[in-house]
Amino acid sequence: MSFRSIDVDALDEDILHQDELFVFSNGIEIDPETALNDVKTKEVDVRNFLTRGETTTALIKAIENPPYGLHTSEAKDRNTQIVMDVLNSTKATVDLTKSLSTEQQDILMKYIYRGMASPDLYNSAVLLNWHEKLTEAAGVGCIVRVITDRKTV
Amino acid sequence: MSSTEVYQLNFGPITAHAFNKDRTQVAICPNNNEVQIYTKAGKSWNLIHTLAEHDKLVTSIDWAPESNRLVTSSQDRNTYVWNLESDEWKPTLVLLRINRAATFVRWSPNEDKFAVASGARVIAICYFDEEHNWWTSKHLKKPIRSTVLSLDWHPNNSLLASGSADFKACVISAFIKGVDKRPPPTAWGEKFPFNTVLGEFSNGGGGWIHSVAFSPSGEALAFSGHDSEVSIAYPGGAVKSIRLTGLPYLSLLWTSEKKIIAAGYDCAPVLFEETNEEWKLSRIIDVGKKKVVGESTAFNRFRDWDTKGISSRGGSEDSELNTIHQNTITSIRHYAGTRENVTHISTSGLDGKLVVWDLENLENQFRNLKV
Repeated sequence: MSFRSIDVDALDEDILHQDELFVFSNGIEIDPETALNDVKTKEVDVRNFLTRGETTTALIKAIENPPYGLHTSEAKDRNTQIVMDVLNSTKATVDLTKSLSTEQQDILMKYIYRGMASPDLYNSAVLLNWHEKLTEAAGVGCIVRVITDRKTV
Repeated sequence: MSSTEVYQLNFGPITAHAFNKDRTQVAICPNNNEVQIYTKAGKSWNLIHTLAEHDKLVTSIDWAPESNRLVTSSQDRNTYVWNLESDEWKPTLVLLRINRAATFVRWSPNEDKFAVASGARVIAICYFDEEHNWWTSKHLKKPIRSTVLSLDWHPNNSLLASGSADFKACVISAFIKGVDKRPPPTAWGEKFPFNTVLGEFSNGGGGWIHSVAFSPSGEALAFSGHDSEVSIAYPGGAVKSIRLTGLPYLSLLWTSEKKIIAAGYDCAPVLFEETNEEWKLSRIIDVGKKKVVGESTAFNRFRDWDTKGISSRGGSEDSELNTIHQNTITSIRHYAGTRENVTHISTSGLDGKLVVWDLENLENQFRNLKV
C-alpha cells in the first residue's frame, strides 16, 4: 500500500470535524424544518417581485439569509432553484452587480458556483455570464471567499 | 535615487529571512533544509555561512538583535538556537516535544524566550534551563484546534498572538514563572497565568489565518485570513474586518499605530490606514515600473526563441509582472525605524528576491504623483 493513501488521522482521536469547522467560521446551526419553511416564504416573495418586473429586488430577496447549516440540504436545494430562476430571467450587468453590498456579492458568488457544480440542472452559459460580471465588480477576493467559507449554500 | 533595493538571493523561493541587528547580515532559507547567511558587500551579498543541521525544509528564521542568536524551525519537527562561537554558528537543540512540523518561530522582545508554532496543535514556549544547559519548552494547547501558522509577541514579553488553520486568531498568555517578571496589567487582561486565553477572534469567513500582528502599543491585533480579509481586533472583542477585492495577504506589519502594511498573493505590498476610526486600504506601495518596450519586438522575439527557447508573442517582457516581486510575498519584516514609526521594511517571497523598501521615500514619490 502506498504511504500516501494511509489515513494519518485515523489513529488520532482529536481530529477536527466538518461540523466544528462550520462553527469556527461563525456558522449557526438551524432547524431543517424552519429553514425549509423560511425558504418557501421567500419563494413566494421572490415570485411576486419577478411578476412585477422588479428583478433587482427579487435577486436581493433571493440571496437574503441563505439557509446555512449542516443538515439543511433540502432548503438549500430549494433556495438554489429560486436564485437560478432569478438569474435566468435577469440580464447580468456590471451596474447591477456593483450595486450589491460586499456581503450580497459574496453570497451571489456562492450561488453561481453552486449552480455551476450541477451543469445538468442549471444553464452554465447564463451562470458564466453572471460570473464574469460579478468578478468585474467584486474582484477575485470574492471568489477566494466562496472557496474558503464553510457556510455553504 | 532608488527607494527600493532588490536582491536576487535564490532562484527558487525564499521560505524565510531575518536580518541581524545592524542589517549587515541576512539569514535566509533557500527552500531546502539549509540556512544561508549572507554578508553585505557594497551592493551585493556574499554567502559566508551555511547552516545544515535540519533534515527538512526550514520554515522560519528569527535573529535576536541584542543577543545575536538565531533560531530556526523546520518541518523535521526541530528547532535549533544558533550561537556564533569563533566565527562558527553552533546549534543547540531545543526540547520541543512535538510530533508534527514546526511552522513558525519568533523571539520574544526581551530575547529570553521564543515561541514555536507547529502542526501538532500546540505552541511551544521555549526558555533556557540553566541547570541542564538546554532550551526547554512549555506547551500552549488551549484553544488551538489546528495547525498554527503565525505568531506575534506583545511588547510586554508575556502575551502572544497566534493565527491558525482553524480560522481563529488568539491572544494567549505565555507568561512563564521564574523567567518573566510580573508584567503590568494590559488592555487585554490584568492577571494572566500561563495559557490564559485573553481573546479569540474569527473574521467569520472561514479562512486560515495566515498572519497576526500586534500594533506597536500592543493594544490592537491585526490578522489576515485566506478569505481575503484583513481584520483589526481590540481588547473586549470588537473586530473591524475589511473584505478585499484582491487575493489574500500572507504577512502583516504595523508601521505605526494607524498604519499596517500587508503583502501576499498579489505580489505587491499594500498600505492600510486608519482615519476617523475607520480602516481602509489606502494604496499599493509598489508603484510598479513602466514596461520597457523594446525597439523591435520582432527582434526580441526571435532572440528569445534562439537563446531561451521561449515562444511568447511579445518577447520575454510579457511574462513579467509589473510589480517588483514576481511571485507571492510570504514575509514582511521590520528593517529600520522604531516600532512606532517603521521607515524601512524588507520582504521576501516565492520569487527568491529580497527587497528592502524605503517607506518615507516612497511616500514622497506618491505625494509628487498626486500633485
